[in-house]
Amino acid sequence: MSTALAAALQYFGRFGVDEPLIRAALAAALSRGGDRADVYFQHRVAHSLGLEDGAVNRAWSGIELGVGIRVLRGDQTGYGYTEDLTPESVRQAALTAAAIADGPSRDRPIPQLVVSAIAHRYPAQTPWDQVAAATRLPLLQRVQERAFAADPRVQKVTVHFSDEEGAVLMVDSDGRVAFDLQPMTLIHLSCMAEDNGRRESNGGNIAGRAGLEFYSDAKLDKLVREAVDRTTILFEAGQPPAGEMPVVLGAGSSGILLHEAIGHGLEADFNRKGVSIYADKLGKPIAAPFVTVVDDATPQGARGAINVDDEGNAAGLTTLIHDGVLQTYLHDSISARHYGVAPTGNGRRESFRHAPLPRMRATYMQNGPHTPEEIIASVERGIYCGNFANGQVQIGAGDFTFYVKNGWLIENGKLTRPIKDVNLIGNGPKVLEQIDMVGNDLKIDDGGWTCGKDGQSVPVSQGMPTTRVRAMTVGGRG
Amino acid sequence: MRDIAEKVVARAQAHGAQQAAASAYQVREVSVQWRDGAVEKLTEATTRGVGVELYVDGRYASVSTSDLRAEALDTFLSDAVAMTRALAPDPFRALPDPQLYAGQSALDLQLADPDYGALTAVARRELAQQLEHAARNTPEGHRILSVTTSVSDSHSQSWRVHSDGFAGEKAGTSYWLGAEVSVQDADGRRPEDACYAGARWRGDVPDPQGIGEEATRRTLSRLGSAKPPSGQLTLVVDARAAGRVVSSLLGGLSAAGWQQKRSFLEGKLGAQIGNDLLDLTDDPLVVRGLGSRRFDGEGMASRPMPLFSAGVLRHGFVDTYYGKKLQMAPTTGRLSNLRWQLGAKDREALLRDVGDGIFVTGFLGGNANGTTGDFSWGIQGFAIRGGQLAEPIGEANISGNHLTLWPALLAVGNDPYRYSALRTPTLVFGGVNVAGR
Repeated sequence: MSTALAAALQYFGRFGVDEPLIRAALAAALSRGGDRADVYFQHRVAHSLGLEDGAVNRAWSGIELGVGIRVLRGDQTGYGYTEDLTPESVRQAALTAAAIADGPSRDRPIPQLVVSAIAHRYPAQTPWDQVAAATRLPLLQRVQERAFAADPRVQKVTVHFSDEEGAVLMVDSDGRVAFDLQPMTLIHLSCMAEDNGRRESNGGNIAGRAGLEFYSDAKLDKLVREAVDRTTILFEAGQPPAGEMPVVLGAGSSGILLHEAIGHGLEADFNRKGVSIYADKLGKPIAAPFVTVVDDATPQGARGAINVDDEGNAAGLTTLIHDGVLQTYLHDSISARHYGVAPTGNGRRESFRHAPLPRMRATYMQNGPHTPEEIIASVERGIYCGNFANGQVQIGAGDFTFYVKNGWLIENGKLTRPIKDVNLIGNGPKVLEQIDMVGNDLKIDDGGWTCGKDGQSVPVSQGMPTTRVRAMTVGGRG
Repeated sequence: MRDIAEKVVARAQAHGAQQAAASAYQVREVSVQWRDGAVEKLTEATTRGVGVELYVDGRYASVSTSDLRAEALDTFLSDAVAMTRALAPDPFRALPDPQLYAGQSALDLQLADPDYGALTAVARRELAQQLEHAARNTPEGHRILSVTTSVSDSHSQSWRVHSDGFAGEKAGTSYWLGAEVSVQDADGRRPEDACYAGARWRGDVPDPQGIGEEATRRTLSRLGSAKPPSGQLTLVVDARAAGRVVSSLLGGLSAAGWQQKRSFLEGKLGAQIGNDLLDLTDDPLVVRGLGSRRFDGEGMASRPMPLFSAGVLRHGFVDTYYGKKLQMAPTTGRLSNLRWQLGAKDREALLRDVGDGIFVTGFLGGNANGTTGDFSWGIQGFAIRGGQLAEPIGEANISGNHLTLWPALLAVGNDPYRYSALRTPTLVFGGVNVAGR
């Protein structure tokens, strides 16, 4: 066995996983004539702590251990999984997955196992398994103290902190092996403030694939400042008018627009089935020439960064729209084979209990020619979106929404009064066409975004420079 | 698995926990996804794990693992107890008052189909195929781009054991059929819609024919949808869609939200929240109900609990912990099934009564501010003109506040949606802000 293979297999060795077990699983998986198979071993240890009513007085922890086995025949998938890593249990799960094919085995030997070299985008300097619970507690207390100190109207504070160390080992029937260690951490601050008998609550969070070193003083200060400001400004905020108007998206988390308006629609499974509004638009102009949108696995330490996707494919920067022209879909192995292209490293899954699907990583728009100031100054009457809670899309009709938690009314080129709690709705391709100004201030948001699809949640990042959309429907009441 | 729950409690106590409660579970899930004439994905697995709540020296933690090897479990519990000791004490944490364990209903809730396991792999594929056939074999079936159908079933069992003597076992089955249809619109859009139905017993699941046809009918009805004009309108919310509005209201009933003062219903027990028509009860004892149970997640015996009676807020979801913090008697921490005081009219009659307005068949995104009760949601549906459904509408939002929405509840239908534990009927609201063009 090569040194690289021994190193890759070492981690799961403690659970009894070795090369014979893996080979037996792959052989069982292909025993009914499947084209290809892969196994995905996962071990994930997560901890979280909660601060409420002044004390860090609750904790959660969870261990996930198991293996998922997938068998492919053409575009068809058979999938089985088990938490029990004994050879017999793993073989049974493999036989279950094998049932997608119903013929005799094609007697395809599994070649020599070769470990893929992968990137190192999130080396944790202080990994979480080396951090005692007692070391984490002061982080939450510091955040609480600063939140109370920031504004006397803040009456209740909760802080939620979580960290995770994950390991995945993937081996496929071509003999490809990939092993990755995947840290993750997130801190969420939520504030309730009172002002003359009125109450408002809001919060903020920061997240990344990193260890304890992630939590610099500056980061925590920014988290507190933003969460408190976003809460207290709600007392002055009103509802925007209702109807169609120009919308300016602030730099950073506005990338949610890209995620919903185009990202999901470019996931190749929807296009392969012909059900996406973007099916058949490859190579065509779909936005202004200064619009370039990417889906990027590489931002160092970002929540949506990955070293390798969950099928063992290399993951890099994928340009979706270049100078306004649609370049590619987001592929997993199945869709890449279907379209006869190389996978883009977008095959991701929530855990070993799920088969991978084409999913986004860090999705953002590159800088454009305008300044944020001139973009705001250009709007006679419209709204400016500061931060967001959630979004959703209908893949085929293209209608998508995002929920603006804080924003501003723009009147005569100036931000005049704060607005809150409003849903915006638009149609993906129409909104892309209507992006008519793009700023030069790209920011990738460091919030704890999670994307849901087919019942699977995966961590993602998103980013945006300040951008103007000529018209969207604002769900206000004015 | 019951042995595992018992062993976990015993080992947690051996490691220093004064009290512990463990839930072990095992779930078998099988699903077939079928698309355009062939199986797309088969998934089959039995998953299991154990979770335990630890009470150690006045401190609390909740932990779970799927690594059930004996030596791994023991290390896991010893680490978890040590982690709990590092926390601040919390005087409000304890197992429930054991008196609340007593009085479980003797009713046979029939949550598990005794014939589970009889459905073969071949039969699942046939059902998936029938769903597709039904969806395609409709008058305008030629406009269909793609049909995806699904057939899934599960059998779940769980065992809960407390250090104070409580022990309970649950078992349940479910069967679901679904069809999703995409069609080509004139302007390049590809509207999709779906129909799902399920039940705890296989014999209660409706025929695949009706499900497939309904999915196509709903999708075709989306063709040519356009933005409605903005304004204040009467809204008729389809029984199937109304769960979105209702669950947002029920979000205000959590005792955690009351204690943290992040609920628009905080301090409003006994107050008039809606008009007389807002009348619903949390009913855990519905035979074969999707949310039914004899005891809740803390082991407390389940019984029906009025939430709103003639518009007055009667009870909220109070678990042991927040009950102690608020000095309120615990009820239960989580919703089971809803039982509505139903109206006399069906959807068609309600549409006729309304005359002009919007019929909402689905929501798209949006959210609510749980502290203030403000909401803003994307909607799709149809214009209502002269008491009849007219052109399809989309790309619109509604917004308002729960505290003014429910007093404007004009009517409740007689048609609870069977395929959700919320069992929402058609709901009619007056004067809702609609933002379109």
